[in-house]
Amino acid sequence: MFRKHHFIKISLTFLITTLFYLHSFAQNWDIPDDKKTKNANFKFTNQTISEGEAIYTKNCMSCHGNLGKDNSLKTLNPIPPDLASVKTQERTDGELFFIITTGRMLMPSFKVILSEEERWKLTSYIRSLNKKYVQIVSETNTSKSNLIKIKMDFDSLTNKLKVDVKANETSGVVSLKDAEVMLFVLRYFGKLQIDKTVRTNNEGIATFNFPKDLPGDKTGNVDLVVKVSDEIYGEVETQSKFKAGIPTDKPSLTEKRAIWNVLKKAPIWIIITYTSIVLIVGAVLLYIIYSLMKLRKLGNN
Amino acid sequence: MLDQSKTDKITTDLLRPIRLNKAFVLWMGFLGISLVICLYAYTLQLKNGMVVTGLRDYVSWGMYISNFVFFVATSLIGMLISAVLGLSGAKWAAPLARIAEIIALAFAAVAGLVIISDMGHPERLMYVFIYGRIQSPIVWDITVVSVYVVISALLLYLPLIPDMKICYNKLEKIPKLNRWLYKILSLNWNGSLEQEKIIKNSTRILAILIIPVALAIHTVTSWLFASTSRVGWDSTIFGPYFVTGAFVSGSAAVIIAMFFYRKNFKLQDYITDLHFDKMGKLLVLVSLVYLYFNLNEFMVPAYKMKKFDAIHLNDLFAGSYALMFWAVQILGLVLPILLLLFRKMRKPLPITIIAIFVIVGAWFKRYIIVVPTQEHPYLPIQNVPLNFKIYSPTLTETLITIAPFILVLIIITLLSKLIPVIPVHESIHQNEETQNEN
Ligand code: HEC
Repeated sequence: MFRKHHFIKISLTFLITTLFYLHSFAQNWDIPDDKKTKNANFKFTNQTISEGEAIYTKNCMSCHGNLGKDNSLKTLNPIPPDLASVKTQERTDGELFFIITTGRMLMPSFKVILSEEERWKLTSYIRSLNKKYVQIVSETNTSKSNLIKIKMDFDSLTNKLKVDVKANETSGVVSLKDAEVMLFVLRYFGKLQIDKTVRTNNEGIATFNFPKDLPGDKTGNVDLVVKVSDEIYGEVETQSKFKAGIPTDKPSLTEKRAIWNVLKKAPIWIIITYTSIVLIVGAVLLYIIYSLMKLRKLGNN
Repeated sequence: MLDQSKTDKITTDLLRPIRLNKAFVLWMGFLGISLVICLYAYTLQLKNGMVVTGLRDYVSWGMYISNFVFFVATSLIGMLISAVLGLSGAKWAAPLARIAEIIALAFAAVAGLVIISDMGHPERLMYVFIYGRIQSPIVWDITVVSVYVVISALLLYLPLIPDMKICYNKLEKIPKLNRWLYKILSLNWNGSLEQEKIIKNSTRILAILIIPVALAIHTVTSWLFASTSRVGWDSTIFGPYFVTGAFVSGSAAVIIAMFFYRKNFKLQDYITDLHFDKMGKLLVLVSLVYLYFNLNEFMVPAYKMKKFDAIHLNDLFAGSYALMFWAVQILGLVLPILLLLFRKMRKPLPITIIAIFVIVGAWFKRYIIVVPTQEHPYLPIQNVPLNFKIYSPTLTETLITIAPFILVLIIITLLSKLIPVIPVHESIHQNEETQNEN
């Protein structure tokens, strides 16, 4: 008896504290102050709004619904807010950017999927219905990202990819220390991240372990994308081809004639069967009509 | 001498219904008004889109497609009675051939329209022709349904040619336009042996041709479902299952039509108890075959109860569709078979009442084949609203579903007011033959 009571008591206490914790957690996102005050370094224009809208439609609308229509997916818990709502609009640009970047629980992180620029364009779209909104453009020098040079080096023996990040300052070439580097490989439906996110060492070098079994094209080439983010220099991406995958030569499913292919690539047997049936039936029907015409002629005589 | 008076009686009896009377005008008025109401519902669908229906991402084939399958099914009876029975020399079926052909033509012609209601905007039908793929059962279905409509029309028309001449000769008090129509349609018929031979041969060719075409139209319709990997549709016996089911609803439709023609057109001497008796036996036969296919279709997966089959089958046997499922199987199939085994039940009135149960059951059977499957997809969408998962037809949708029935009734009514529903020429011919034998 006692044990049972005890157990229930402890469970209840535990439950209530958890609920309380979850409750307070649901109220606010813990956003560091320096992130809150972050701003886009370009001006929001109709152009950025419409580009942001396209990104929104593809990535966000399924949960958040149309902006300002309050038709988000109500079956989720927590319910994704309408992003044109006052509560969301009271957030700073930096907060919105942070939320989109990191996400939490049901709200996905878009850090890997969308580039920094795309995430700012989303912010510009989210602001588009807000009449009172005045943008603060970041003062940071955007031209600094142009100085970055990224060198990729693939070692097929160890299957490691070395990324060397340098900046061509006027004072000379410097290595970018402690910059965040992500490696992706291009697949059918987007970018697939390889290994973990790595920071550059003192020589500005980040090393990734490349998987041995990644399918490449006919000759084993894969398209690799490296993304470098740095506090001072901003975000830079480069793409290049490496012979780092397994050569794969699978004919595309829509290359040959097949049931599922387009009309022009229909299987021969279907074309023959279908057309011959249609022709035979058509011929019989024509014969019947010819007979009826003959019948009519006979009546004339 | 006796011969001539009998011939005259047949002609007057069979041509009597071809005139405008009050009942006809009232009936057509009623159908017309009902059609207008249903068409109003259709304009709502055109204006606001398919949201006015209960169709959502899960169940996108609802009542419209169930209706389509039912219409195609019912139209198959033309093939069974005028071709299969005709070719096999079942003489009793001859007077019913035209009734069966009228039903076949009306249902097949309207089936195409039913599909259009499911497409939303009607101009999308064009896309089937512009972008259709020869590999798709949808293209086969459109081809084969159109061919079936043409053959059914010809099979209705060919034996009608001599009758058109009789109508032209005997019906002098009808409007000029109608007489002119009879004259044109009679194709200079003069009853010569050569002409008789042409009609006979052509009818025979068409009767043979319509058998594979009719089998094809319902088999292809079943493939619209069976070629999809879904619980409840993924079945190898769907073709014959649909074809036999089609004969059930078609036979019931013919029985109901016989009853009304006999009563309203005073055709007791031509559509006799014998015809009801024979049709009753035919209905039992096709229903038994259909029951056998049902047993296979449900028993085999239910014995294994594979994970996804089980969800679907439990919903049918004991879940939200249980009432409809068992009502259809018992009231629409098992009981009619049992009752029709008794001679008394094959008398005109009881068999007509049974046929009404059968045909209503047949409609709901199509609903059970089409709808529940879609509520149990292999890969459900997450977090969808309830009305995605559970299909409930709306009033607008119901009205749009009723419209094809009204259209069919209008076509049947108009046809039976323009042409004799029992072949006159053939009846005279048969009468002469029996007299010669005596
Ligand atoms: C899988 C559904 C889902 C998708 C997709 C999604 N979100 Fe969210 N989002 C949520 C949920 C749920 C919340 C609430 C999370 C919470 O409060 O813990 C949320 C919260 C937010 C917030 C914070 C709103 C506030 O004021 O509290 C923003 C901003 C946001 N999402 C933006 C986006 C953007 C931009 C995209 C597209 C790039 C996106 N979301 C895609 C589910 C989603």
